[in-house]
Amino acid sequence: MSNNTAKLTETQTDVRVESPLYHANLAALAKKDQQGEVVLREKAQLGHLVLRGNVNNELFAKTVEKVLGVALPTTPCSSVEHNQLLVQWLAPDEWLIITEGGREGPLEARLREHLTGHYSLVDVSGGQTVLALSGPKAELVIRKSCHYDVHMSNLPTGKCVGTTFAKSAVLLRRTGADSFELVIRRSFADYLWMWLQDASREYGLVIEK
Amino acid sequence: MSQQYRLQGRGRVDHGKPLSFIFNGKTYQGLAGDTIASALLANGVDVVGRSFKYSRPRGIMAAGAEEPNCILQVGSTEATMIPNIRGTQAELYDGLTASSTNGWPNVDKDIMGVVGKLGGSMMPPGFYYKTFMYPESMWPTYEKMIRKAAGLGRVPKDKDPDTYDKLNHHCDVLVVGGGAAGLAAALAAGRRGARVILVDEQNEFGGHLLHSTQPINGQAPGLWVANAVKELQGLPDVTLLPRSTAAGYYDQNFVTVLERRTDHLGERVSGKTRQRLHRIRARRVVLATGAHERPLVYGNNDLPGNLVAGALSTYVNRYGVAPGNSLVLMTCNDYGYQAALDWLDAGRKLVAVVDSRHRPEGARYRALKARGARIYTGHGVIEATGKKRVTGARVAALSSDGSQVTGAAEQLACDTIASSGGWSPVVHLTAHTGARPVWNDDIIGFVPGESVQKQLLAGGIQGTYALSAVLAEGLTAGRAAADATGYGDISAQVQDAGIKTEDPQEDAAQALFLVPHSKLVSRAPKQFVDYQNDVTAAGIELAVREGFESIEHIKRYTAMGFGTDQGKLGNINGMAIAARAMGKTIPETGTTVFRPNYTPVTFGALAGRDAHHLFDPARFTAMHAWHVNNGAEFEDVGQWKRPWYFPQTGEDMHQAVNRECLAVRNSVGILDASTLGKIDIQGADAREFLSRIYTNAWAKLSPGNCRYGLMCKEDGMVFDDGVTACINDNHFIMTTTTGGAAGVLQWLELWHQTEWPELEVYFSSVTDHWSTMTVTGPNSRKVLEKICENVDLSGEAFPFMGWRDATVAGVKARIFRISFTGELSFEINVQANYGLHTWEAVMEAGAEFNITPYGTETMHVLRAEKGFIIVGQDTDGSVTPFDLGMDWCVGKTKPFPFIGQRSWSRSDTARTDRKQLVGLKCKEANTVIPEGAQIVLDPNHPVPVPMVGHVSSSYYSASLGHNIAMGVVKGGLNRMGETVYCPLADGRVLEAEITSPIFYDPKGERQHV
Repeated sequence: MSNNTAKLTETQTDVRVESPLYHANLAALAKKDQQGEVVLREKAQLGHLVLRGNVNNELFAKTVEKVLGVALPTTPCSSVEHNQLLVQWLAPDEWLIITEGGREGPLEARLREHLTGHYSLVDVSGGQTVLALSGPKAELVIRKSCHYDVHMSNLPTGKCVGTTFAKSAVLLRRTGADSFELVIRRSFADYLWMWLQDASREYGLVIEK
Repeated sequence: MSQQYRLQGRGRVDHGKPLSFIFNGKTYQGLAGDTIASALLANGVDVVGRSFKYSRPRGIMAAGAEEPNCILQVGSTEATMIPNIRGTQAELYDGLTASSTNGWPNVDKDIMGVVGKLGGSMMPPGFYYKTFMYPESMWPTYEKMIRKAAGLGRVPKDKDPDTYDKLNHHCDVLVVGGGAAGLAAALAAGRRGARVILVDEQNEFGGHLLHSTQPINGQAPGLWVANAVKELQGLPDVTLLPRSTAAGYYDQNFVTVLERRTDHLGERVSGKTRQRLHRIRARRVVLATGAHERPLVYGNNDLPGNLVAGALSTYVNRYGVAPGNSLVLMTCNDYGYQAALDWLDAGRKLVAVVDSRHRPEGARYRALKARGARIYTGHGVIEATGKKRVTGARVAALSSDGSQVTGAAEQLACDTIASSGGWSPVVHLTAHTGARPVWNDDIIGFVPGESVQKQLLAGGIQGTYALSAVLAEGLTAGRAAADATGYGDISAQVQDAGIKTEDPQEDAAQALFLVPHSKLVSRAPKQFVDYQNDVTAAGIELAVREGFESIEHIKRYTAMGFGTDQGKLGNINGMAIAARAMGKTIPETGTTVFRPNYTPVTFGALAGRDAHHLFDPARFTAMHAWHVNNGAEFEDVGQWKRPWYFPQTGEDMHQAVNRECLAVRNSVGILDASTLGKIDIQGADAREFLSRIYTNAWAKLSPGNCRYGLMCKEDGMVFDDGVTACINDNHFIMTTTTGGAAGVLQWLELWHQTEWPELEVYFSSVTDHWSTMTVTGPNSRKVLEKICENVDLSGEAFPFMGWRDATVAGVKARIFRISFTGELSFEINVQANYGLHTWEAVMEAGAEFNITPYGTETMHVLRAEKGFIIVGQDTDGSVTPFDLGMDWCVGKTKPFPFIGQRSWSRSDTARTDRKQLVGLKCKEANTVIPEGAQIVLDPNHPVPVPMVGHVSSSYYSASLGHNIAMGVVKGGLNRMGETVYCPLADGRVLEAEITSPIFYDPKGERQHV
């Protein structure tokens, strides 16, 4: 078991923080001598916010842009990155904002401070985590798991799609020629961890910290 | 052992690499590059199986997927074996172990053979139906015997240790078949930049070119194949899948392809995927599946030594095996002569060629004549002779239409008979998509019917057999498929190099299926049509005489086409024979339908990786590891693993649950409630939306407070319940049942998006974000006081059904004062990354009160003591809030009608004698009525006894010291105090009293303290 601790701003108590995959102890696995063509890393304990609103409402769009420093992506399945912020399109009125852990609270507060009218802003940081999958065989592992066409011509770098993955659902984004990120739900994390180990076994799986 | 039929130095096999293998317990030698079938033929193994019904000896007939007889159980252990492998398609490896799938006790000495011989004439079609149906009770005995004596393959007994998986593909052009047409199509499409997948069932691409002798561009055809494959391998977006069979073709150009990845390497190759099911979605499908040669139907045509003509060419030229010494070849077309030419080139004796046509003139005929071969024109092989192998052929003159024998038969000595009845296009895949094959008189075969799929055809599948035309069609189809998928612009710039080949001139073929015999069909030696099912020409004629007029009925009555080979070799002959017997043409008779799969697909490949622990996701809460470490037994709730109870050493479930219940009632317990569905609802109209979705009123719920709500569907029946908290006027948090979470979110979105889009409200699932722990019992406040900051936990400041922000063990939390136990309860919600930390802090703080973790079973007992329902257990989709006695949870003065309201005025939902939820107390205090027990009013009523309801929840209550139950009873709310009866399956009749469902603390004082 990992023993990450964090000091929350409002208290002096030591608090243990455990990502959805803490029990897999990826940090210890990463230290082992490993060889393979698929590389897995959990980008644990990031801040995740779901923002919903009408992007055709100019006030909403402008206000969000002012706070985030970047306009919400409106092209379906697109994403933007800006100043340690990643904004992914989920639906015509829904976005996932991912930021470094701890920043989501202040960001939520600032958005709430500036936004008026109809919108919804929900912190889902505890409910999901990000898996980075890379290496020459990463795409094959994804194709074993997912029906979506992940060929570079259909899923170019930066494009993100909500899709089924094995018997779970993920938000899948290509981050480079040989690299992808999956946003997965906490309760399915163990299932997907076991699935990914099994699906990448023939290529060798390397865990990175 | 010597391979006496091996042709030294010939073929694509590696003569320097001998392999040994075991067939039916005997060791043989083969060569690398052999199939099991070619190696068996090289060793002179004639009998490879026994026939299904008559138990006749059978030998290898063909060289590909159409092989009906060489069907083997391959593998030496129960864990690794696969049944029903076609020996003609299985590559040989060193140490391979195979056995015949039928023949009991063995293929050479067969008990059933005697029965078959004696019973031959007594076993017409429908024999089993007619003989073994009565007495019906004996059928299981008959069946066992028949299965053992006949049957095809058997299920391996041990668990399969291998890995199977699936891989998804999307492509512009999928080319099925890697022969001449398919290679040309893949080249044309690939050169234009299209994403191309080429699949072929064989280990090498090339199809017929692997044994053809017709030069391409002046070189051996194998060289052209090698160059084509090399070019394809160099193209960026071309995927080549050898050893991959397109098994099924489904709507929207979805094709499943079975790839055998290690079956050619050995019995067990660890670390690799044995078989892979490719799921290919193609924008265009090019079918280049070629054609199967049809054998002719004549007497004893199933004796080992009878082969399809083209198979001889394959064995001689590709595998370097001549499966005999002296050949009689019969044909009704020019191509058939090729086998005789190849046979002569192999240095074997050609006894005669027998051509049913009276004046053949094609190039191959002339070539053979020039070599001095004996050719009978206008003749047919009417019968093969021999016992376990052909020893001769009886040849007789035929009428010009091939329908009658016109002269005396002549006996020719030979050990091999090959026949060619022409080609049958491999139309199976198009038939999968619903396209009925269409008869074409010009090619004497069925070609694909019109398809709704975006598919193109090339080569043999549409009856094009001349190599130059096959290659040209392949290029055209590949080009057209690339054009159609957006590679048209550059099409003009890419030139396909001309492929030059000279086809031998061919003469017209004759339509011949059944070679006549001097005796009537019913008296002649058996003329087999379908080898796997022992269907004969006589059998088909009998079926017609017995009144079967549809080819589908004839198929089912005779079992023609029902084997693992799906009648690839025999169906067309059978249809032609049926057509003649009915006095119809073949197009009038039509064909039966081919369904997936083209050849059998293993269950392993179909299951893929979705097996064992990956069969279905198991969902875990953040505290799962703690539950495991503390000995929890788990219960599946939907996909969630929830702690069921936490047994201590020596405790059974009953004892553990009693202890957990008493701990909650007397001190404090803790439950992991994280699995409950949680939906975050924001927007100015959130409150209005809740009022329409829930049956009760929400107008006055103020921030800081919670309310229980019931949800109904339009039919007025309860479908979910839960507590919703008002965070502020624009923000609510709804909880749902564990199993109902996803359905409720969909339900909310459905109504918002389709009915009330004008309401300003958004929904987001936060089920996984929050870890939820219920701390409940009289000491719960004392526990919380030790670890909570920034909150006043007193009853005055924080009353029942309120919620407060707080800091718990250093973690930001929301605490809800809601109770599913009837005790003083606090439900702590923290961000899930802090869930385990917080849980452990509560456990530590509660130690002095002996805080007791409890699971779902105790939760069920505690709530039942309080009469709280569980949706899905006490309701079943036919229960209204009024049936539950929950009128208090229905808002009668809400301004906007809410879902379900109207249905309550239906006469059926308004009647007063509906089944209503009541408490039940069995009169024997320690007896727990089984859940599901039926309730009757008069146990002595004559059968059938009117049943008035059933028991839905039933437990032993340790707190009360007696059993408690809930159930639905017709008009139950007006039957308080009455006695009802539960007759059980074991004969007991339990007597129970109808009571209020609230057994414990009826005034509800404990939760308010």
